[in-house]
Amino acid sequence: MQRNELLWVEKYRPKKIQDVVGNEEAKELFVEWLKNKRHTKKAVLLYGPPGVGKTALVNAAANEFGFTIIEMNASDTRSEKAVNAVAKPATSYVALDNFSGSTKSSGNLLFLDEVDGIAGNEDRGGVAAILKIVEESLVPVILAANDPNIDKLRPLKKVCLLVRFQQVRIPLIIALLQKICLLEHVHAEFEALERIAQNSRGDVRSAINDLQSLSETNRTLTLQDTVVLTSRNKDVSMDETLRGFFSAKSVAEASSLLSYSSVDYDDFLLSVSDNLPRRYMDPGELAAAYDFVSQADVFRGRIGTENWHLLKYFYNALAKAAAVNPQSYKPFEFISPPIRVMTLFWTKSRRSMLDAICSKIGVQCHVSKETAKEDFVPYIKEILIKQKKSPLIAYFKFTPEEVDFLIKMSRF
Amino acid sequence: MAATSEEALMWVEKYRPKTLDEVVDLHDIVESLKAFMRNPKTMPHLMLAGIPGTGKTTVALCIAHELFGQNWRSFTLELNASDERGIDTVRERIKDFSRYSRTGFGNIPFALIILDESDQMTGPAQTALRRIMEIGSRTSRFILICNQSSKIIEPIQSRCAIFRFSRLDRQAMKEHLQCIAKKENVKLQPEAAERIVDYSEGDLRHAINALQTASAYREGGIVDEKTVSLVIGEASPMLVQKMIRKALYGDFMEARKTMYDIMGSYGFSGSEIIRQIQREIFKMSDLTPEQKADLSNLIGEYDYRLTQGANSDIQLSALLAQFARFGKSIEESYATK
Repeated sequence: MQRNELLWVEKYRPKKIQDVVGNEEAKELFVEWLKNKRHTKKAVLLYGPPGVGKTALVNAAANEFGFTIIEMNASDTRSEKAVNAVAKPATSYVALDNFSGSTKSSGNLLFLDEVDGIAGNEDRGGVAAILKIVEESLVPVILAANDPNIDKLRPLKKVCLLVRFQQVRIPLIIALLQKICLLEHVHAEFEALERIAQNSRGDVRSAINDLQSLSETNRTLTLQDTVVLTSRNKDVSMDETLRGFFSAKSVAEASSLLSYSSVDYDDFLLSVSDNLPRRYMDPGELAAAYDFVSQADVFRGRIGTENWHLLKYFYNALAKAAAVNPQSYKPFEFISPPIRVMTLFWTKSRRSMLDAICSKIGVQCHVSKETAKEDFVPYIKEILIKQKKSPLIAYFKFTPEEVDFLIKMSRF
Repeated sequence: MAATSEEALMWVEKYRPKTLDEVVDLHDIVESLKAFMRNPKTMPHLMLAGIPGTGKTTVALCIAHELFGQNWRSFTLELNASDERGIDTVRERIKDFSRYSRTGFGNIPFALIILDESDQMTGPAQTALRRIMEIGSRTSRFILICNQSSKIIEPIQSRCAIFRFSRLDRQAMKEHLQCIAKKENVKLQPEAAERIVDYSEGDLRHAINALQTASAYREGGIVDEKTVSLVIGEASPMLVQKMIRKALYGDFMEARKTMYDIMGSYGFSGSEIIRQIQREIFKMSDLTPEQKADLSNLIGEYDYRLTQGANSDIQLSALLAQFARFGKSIEESYATK
C-alpha cells in the first residue's frame, strides 16, 4: 500500500516559510528576528495552541536559511545536566562552520520544543539551565510552548522575544486540504473538507491527519464519510467516561463507550476500582462487580506489554462490572485523584525509613528485607518499647530516628 | 555481612547452630549432609526447600563452617535473591566473588555461594542462573534456598541434590526453647513454651523471637503464659485484623482504606498481605471451621489472581468486597435462625 508509506503531515511539512499556513504576523516577526534582530533579544519564544505551525515554521526557516537544527523536546528529560549535555556543545561552536568555507550553512540553531513540559521534579534546574544557555549562546535559540502563562517559565519570558501563534483560520485549512487532495488524487466534496477543517478548531496537523485517515480506504470523500469524526475527535475526559460507564444500562453500552474513549485504560481501571463502592452500595452487587474488575485486571496482567489481542477481553470484563444492576444507579461524586497515588505519595518517606531498618536487620540475621519486615520488626519494635536503651540499637546500628520510628510505628 | 567480632544480640543469631550436629530435629538431612562433608570434593550443588523458620539458612551456614572453619566468610558468598535487583546484579556479584576469592581452601577445591530465597527469581533470571552455575561449577558450589522447589525451573533442580525441610517437631522446639531460656537465665514456664510453639506453627525463628521479646517484658526472668499472650497480641498484625473485621462487618470503604495504609506505610506487597490475611483468618475464634474454610477458598482464588493480574491493590480490594458479601450472608443466616 503505497499511500500508507508516509504520514501526510510529514509528507507535506512546509519546506519554505511561505508554505506555512496562516499566522502571517507571527511569521514576519520571527523571520525579522532571525535575520536582523538577534542582537536585541537572544532568544525567541513561540507560543500558541498545538498544530498551528510553530515547529513547521522553525523547520522551514532553518531549511531556507541553512541552519542545522539541534532539537530537544519534551520526551527528553530536561534536567540541568541533560540540557547542558546537548545544548552546550551545540551553542558554543558557532565559528567552526564559518571557517569551513561552505556558504550554505549558517551554523547551528538550538530548538527547545514544548518547554512548558518542564516539570517540577525531574527537570529540576531545567529552566535555569535553559536561561543560562540563552545567555551564553552564540547561536539562535528558539523555544516553543503551548501555554506561555506557566509561572516557572516567567524567567524565560524576560530574555525572549515573544511570538504568538493563533488558531489557523478555517478557509486557509480548507485550501490546504484541497491542495493535498489534488496531489493525493482524492476526490473530496467541499462540504466534507469544510467539516474536517471546522472540526479541527484551527489545528492544521489534526486536520491533515483526519483527512488521511478518512480517505485511507477509498479515494472519494463525501460529507457522509465525515460523520465518524465527531466521536473520534471529541476527547472524552476521564470524568465523562466514568459517568457514562457507571450509568450504562447494559454491558453492550458500557463496552462501546470504552472502545470510543481515549482515556488511558490503566488509569481508567484504577478509577473504576476507586469508585466502585460509591456506585454499588449493596455488598452483593459490589462483590459481583469487583469480581469482574478483578478479572479485567487479570487480563491486563496477561496482556503485559505484548499480548494486545487480549484487550477485548479486558474491556469485556470491565464492561460487565458496569452493568451488574443498572436499576440501582444513582449519580454520585467521583473520587479523584486515584487513592493509590495519594496513599503511596504521602507515605513514601515512611517506607524508605522502614526499608533501611529492614536491610540493617537483614545483614545481621541472614534474612531478606521482606523476612525482616515480617519476622523481626514486630518483635524488635516491642523490645525497643520495653527497653529504650536496648543494646540491640547499637547491634543493628539503628539511628535515633529509626529507633523513634520503630517505637512510634502504629500497630499493624 | 555481619562483623564477626561482635556478639550476636538477637537470639536467633546467638543460638544459631554452628555445626550440623547442633541442628534441631533434622536427623535425616544432617546425616546425608555429613556424608558429603567427609569427602567435600564429591559435594554437588544443593537445594534446600521448605517452609520458613525450619533451618534452611542455618544448615547452609553450618556447611560453610564445616568446610572452611573460621575463615568461612572469605570463601562464602551470601546472596538474597529477593534483595538483589535482577539477575544482572546477581551475576556481577558472583563473577566478582569468583574472581577475587581464592577458590579452594585446603583440600576443598571450590568456594561456596549461598543464594537465599531463590524461588523469588523470575523464569528468565533462573535461566541465566543456570548458565552461571554451569560456568562456575568447577570453582564454586551453589546452595539454593527456597520455600517451594516447584518454583525453581527443572534444569536447575536436576543439577542439585534436593533436601526437603518440613515443619519442626513440637517437642524438639519446646526443648530448644527451654535450652535457650536456661542459657539466658530466663525461667520459661511449660505452658508458656506450649503457647509459643502453638503460635509459631513450626517456625522456629518466630518462636525464638517471641521468647526473646517476652523475656524483655519481664525483667524478673520468669516468662509465663500471660506474658507470651501479651507479646503475641502486640506483635501480631493489628492493621490486618482490623482490615478483615471491617470488611466482614460490611464497612468496605474503611477496610480498603486500611489496606492502602498497610501497603503505603509499610510497603507490604499484595501477596504478603494476602498471606497474613490467611493466617489471621484461622486465628479468629468467632468464625466456625466451615466459615473459615469458605473464606480460605475465596482467599485462594484471589491469591492466584494476584499472581496473574496487573494491580495487586485491585485484587485485594476485590477480595475485601467478597469478604463484605460473606459477612452479610452470615448475618442473614443468623437472622433467619
